[in-house]
Amino acid sequence: MTKLTPRMRNWLEGLGAHIGTATKKGFPTTIVVESAKVEGDNIVKFQLSEAQVAQVKQNISENPQVALGPGGLGSIRAAYQFKGVARLESTTLIVEVKEIYCTKPGPEAALRLDTLPYENIVKFESTRWRDTGPPK
Amino acid sequence: MKLPKEIVDALRIKQPDDVIVYLTTCSVDGKCNVSPQLFTDVYADEFILMPDLFAVKTKINLNENRVGVVTIAHPAEGKAWALRGPCGHIEWGLPDNYDFQGVKAGDILKKWGEWSEKESFSALPPDDRPNVIAQRGVIVLKVADCLSVNLEDSGKKVM
Repeated sequence: MTKLTPRMRNWLEGLGAHIGTATKKGFPTTIVVESAKVEGDNIVKFQLSEAQVAQVKQNISENPQVALGPGGLGSIRAAYQFKGVARLESTTLIVEVKEIYCTKPGPEAALRLDTLPYENIVKFESTRWRDTGPPK
Repeated sequence: MKLPKEIVDALRIKQPDDVIVYLTTCSVDGKCNVSPQLFTDVYADEFILMPDLFAVKTKINLNENRVGVVTIAHPAEGKAWALRGPCGHIEWGLPDNYDFQGVKAGDILKKWGEWSEKESFSALPPDDRPNVIAQRGVIVLKVADCLSVNLEDSGKKVM
């Protein structure tokens, strides 16, 4: 099962994400949420505004597949992309992450991380980035 | 759609204060890909250009579903827009007269096909910049919708 590392959690919780959703025929909509809460190994919860719920409700109901890119400075410092399935509970978007990719520009872009042993993911991170989350 | 000056100014080349954007694309059956793009420019006030640097999934999606969304990730203050529209990639090797949404491949590749001549990639921090630059072409998004991504009115047309 997919497991987020502490670094991934820190960046998502600290700066949120750009969240891509789409109709089942592939027409995309992106929303921006500035914080998140990570629960368990791979559940990410986003508190949406009423306007955001209205924007993605139909997409999520017909196509629960979503993609997340860490927000703000995380777009470059936390070069991950998370893909999973989402559901709405009232104004909370709950994403179960099923796939994790590296988006570091260059030859490692699109490298799938969640298929590696967890220890290897942590090692991968530690050899590429020195921080453990966004600046305070 | 012609973009207002504030959006054009935000997205055009201007080191060292370049913005980092996300480009959201989608497979034809609805699986999204959210890809960071470190470099952007604007052509004719309505086309957003990004160098294709190892954009594997993005290209697979654009080959089957030519639509994308650009959102600004960093620095994002005052730049709360989602810019959506037809999106394609213009690869080296296409004939000069290949047309995508009114732009010609030859015109785009001549000016943006070697992005590093316009903008130094070494301006990026060492941890973040690609070790190898191998530009395959240019991703082009013609803006058709400009939507707010502000919490209170997310999804509302800005113009």
